Amino acid sequence: MHINSLKHITKHALIENIPDPPEFYLPLYGYKGVLKTVVETGQYVKKYELVAQAEDLFSTAMHAPASGIMEGVEIIEGKPHLKLVNDFKEAAIDLSLQQSEHLKPLEILQILKQYGIEGSGGARFPTHLKYSLGHQNVDIFIINGAECEPYLTADYALMQNKTEALFKSIISIQKIIKAKKVVFGIEKQNKELATILKSYYSLCDFPVEVKLLPNTYPQGGELQLIKSITKKELPKGSRPLEHGIVLSNIGTLWAIYNALFQNKPYIERVITLSGEKAIKKGNFYVKIGTPVSHLFDLSAADTQKHQIVLGGPMMGKAITDYKSPVTKGTGGVLILPEIQNEKYNCIECGYCANACPQRLMPMEFARYAKTDNKEQLLSHRLTDCIECGACAYICPSDVPLMRSIYHGKEILQNTIAL
Amino acid sequence: MNLNPYIKAKKNSVSAIMFDVIIALMPLVLAAYAAFGFKAIWLITTAVITCLITDFLFNALYAKKYNSFLDGSAMITALLLSFTVSPLTPWYVLAFGSFCAIVFGKLLWGGLGKNRFNPALVGREFMTAFFPLMSTAAIWSTNSIRNTKDFHLFANDSLLGMYSNDLVFKTTGALGEYSMLFIVLGGLYLIIRKRISWHIPFAILTVFLCGTWLSSACGLELKYSIAGMILGSIFMATDMPSSPNGYPGMLYYGGMIGLVSIFFILGNVRFEYLSYAILLLNGFTPFINQIFRPRAWGEKVDYAIKTEKIFFLTLAIIAAAMAILTLHYYGFIKYLIYIYIVYITFKFNFSFIKNIHNPI
Repeated sequence: MHINSLKHITKHALIENIPDPPEFYLPLYGYKGVLKTVVETGQYVKKYELVAQAEDLFSTAMHAPASGIMEGVEIIEGKPHLKLVNDFKEAAIDLSLQQSEHLKPLEILQILKQYGIEGSGGARFPTHLKYSLGHQNVDIFIINGAECEPYLTADYALMQNKTEALFKSIISIQKIIKAKKVVFGIEKQNKELATILKSYYSLCDFPVEVKLLPNTYPQGGELQLIKSITKKELPKGSRPLEHGIVLSNIGTLWAIYNALFQNKPYIERVITLSGEKAIKKGNFYVKIGTPVSHLFDLSAADTQKHQIVLGGPMMGKAITDYKSPVTKGTGGVLILPEIQNEKYNCIECGYCANACPQRLMPMEFARYAKTDNKEQLLSHRLTDCIECGACAYICPSDVPLMRSIYHGKEILQNTIAL
Repeated sequence: MNLNPYIKAKKNSVSAIMFDVIIALMPLVLAAYAAFGFKAIWLITTAVITCLITDFLFNALYAKKYNSFLDGSAMITALLLSFTVSPLTPWYVLAFGSFCAIVFGKLLWGGLGKNRFNPALVGREFMTAFFPLMSTAAIWSTNSIRNTKDFHLFANDSLLGMYSNDLVFKTTGALGEYSMLFIVLGGLYLIIRKRISWHIPFAILTVFLCGTWLSSACGLELKYSIAGMILGSIFMATDMPSSPNGYPGMLYYGGMIGLVSIFFILGNVRFEYLSYAILLLNGFTPFINQIFRPRAWGEKVDYAIKTEKIFFLTLAIIAAAMAILTLHYYGFIKYLIYIYIVYITFKFNFSFIKNIHNPI
C-alpha cells in the first residue's frame, strides 16, 4: 500500500542541536522487563554515569544524559521513569578513551552492552545480543534505511550527513559478525542517498551494495525488508539469524558509532520533529529522557486540537501526559491535528485485507475480538499481525481494527499465560 | 485514548465510495432518459424516494440513526433496482420492490454492509414473486412508448456501423441496458478509483462468453441480453458486502456466476438467469472467503486439502443451482421468497437486532 510520505517537510533539514531540558524522565523499561536503578534518590550524578540497568536475559543500561540530582521514580502513563533535574553544569565522568580502531570483537560487544546500545527502530532489542551469533554464519548484514513511516526523516538525515560515521560503525560490526555482504535498504523515493553511500564503499574490505525498495508501507518492517532484499519469506516469530541474516537500523549504527568512536553511552539520538501543528520542524539531536513538553515548547506548536505522537504516525503512540519522554526507540515526535472520522458499518470492501503486509484478514479480527472468540482469532492468525496500522489507515468505515487487534492479542496472551 | 494510526487515507470514507458508484451510474440515467424520456426519470425517482424514505424510517425506528440514509447506499440500491426493470413497469410495483430491497435486502440483516445478498436483486425477486405481471413477455414490449428514434453516432449503412451504434445506444431491454458504452465507462471509472476490481466482471464475462460459444457450437441457441450481463457483472455482482474480498475468491465467484447463468439460460429461465446466479453465489460468499483466505506471510498451505475443499464447494453450488432451476420450473420460487421473509424476520428479531450498533 502506498501512503503519502510527507517526508519533504524535513527531508533536507540538517541535524540541529537543541537546548537541554531542565528535567529528564529516563525510561526504566526496555525490550522486556524493568531496569533497576543503581543510584539513590537525591544523589548527585554526573553526565554519562550509569543510573539504571537490567542484568537479566535482555540486559541493558541507562546513563545520565546530563549532570544533576536524581529525584526518584515517577510513573508516567503507567510506566516507571527516573527523574533527573538538570543542573546545566555538564560535569561529565571521565571515561577512559578506547583505541576504537583496534578493538577486538569481544571488547566491542562488551562496550555495546555497557553503553546500553539498543535497536533504535522501535522494538529496542539489545544490540550486543543481536550480534552474539554463537556458531551461526552470517550471509547478509542488512542496514534498514527504509524508514517507511511518513514524516520521519531522522534516518535519512543521518545517512545524508553522517555517512562516514555509519560506515565506521558498520566496519566495526563486521569484525564481529563477518557477514559475506552488507546491503543498505532504502526506499526509491530517497534514491539520491545511493550516490552518497556509494562514495564510501572504498572504506570497506567487504562487498557493500545499496538496494532500492518500493515506496510501500510497511517496507521497513523486518519481515518485509528481508523479503525485498533476499526474496526469503520468513514466518513471523522466526529469528532472521537462523537464516543467516542480521539487520540493524540506521539509528542503531549511529548509537554504535557514538559508543565506539566518541566514547559516549547511548544518551542521545536523532529524531524528527514534524506534523501539521508543529511550527518549528526538522531533525534534532535529542537526549534520551527529554520530555515531550520541552519539544512541544521548542516547536512553538499550535495548542488547539492537536495530538502528540511519539514515533511515527502509523505505529507510534499518542501521549496524554506531556512528561512522556523520548526513548531509545523513538524516531520522531509529531504534533498532528486530531482526526475526525466518519464511522460506518464494515462494508466488506476488503481494503484492509489488501493493505495487510502479512496477508491477513483484519476485518475478521474485528468480528471475533468482539465476542472474544479465541479459536477464530487463532485460526485467522492474529498472532502473525505486526501491528503496522495499514488496515486501520485504509478502512473507509473506521472500524476499530487496531483496538480489536490489541484486545484480541491480549486475550490470547492471557490464555497462554493460564 | 486514541490508538494508532494517527493519519487516515483521504477521501476514502464509505460515503466517498458510494458517491463514486453513483457517479458511475449517472450516465445510465441519462441513457434511460434519452430512450424513454420522463417516463424513465419518473420511475427512477420513485425508486430513489421510496428507498431513501424506507431507509430513514427503519433506521430511525430500530437503530436510532437519523442520517445514515444519506450514506449513498440506499440511492445505489434504488438506481440498480430501477435499472433492472422495464420502462412499462407500474410505479407502485417498483415502489414495492424498492421498499422490499431496503427492508428485506439490507436492513433486516442489521443494516449497511451486513447483507448476505445484493439488496437490489432481492427487491427484484420480491417484485417478480408478488406481481406475476413482471415475468410476462408483455411488459418488455416497449416499442410503443419509446421516446426517441435510435440515436446513430456512426453511419448506419454498414454492418460495422450498425454494430457500433448498438454499442453506444440501443433501446431494448431494461432501463439500465440502453448504452453498453456508458456501462463499460462506469465500470472503468470504478476500477480506476479502486472501488471495484476487474476480477469479478472479467471472470463472469469470460466464462459466460466461452459458455455461449460452446453452446452455439453444440447447436443450442441461447437467449440473453449482453448489456444486461455486463450491467450485472460490473455493478451487481461486485456489491462489496455480498461478494468475496480476495482476488482468487473473486475470480472463482465470478467464474461460477458465469457458469451458473449459462446453466439457467439452458434451463429456460427467460429473464432471471443472472439475478438467480448472483443471488445464489452471494449465498456462498462466506464459504468462498473462508476457502480462498489469502496465504499468510510465511504460511505453508496444503494445496491438496484446498483443492478438495474447492471441489466440494463447486459441487454444492451446482446442486444448489439445480434446486433453484427445479423450483423455477414448477413456479415455486415465490415460496422460497415467503420462506426467506419468515426466516429473515425471525433472525432479525432474535439475533441481528442485538448487533445493530456493531460496525461488523
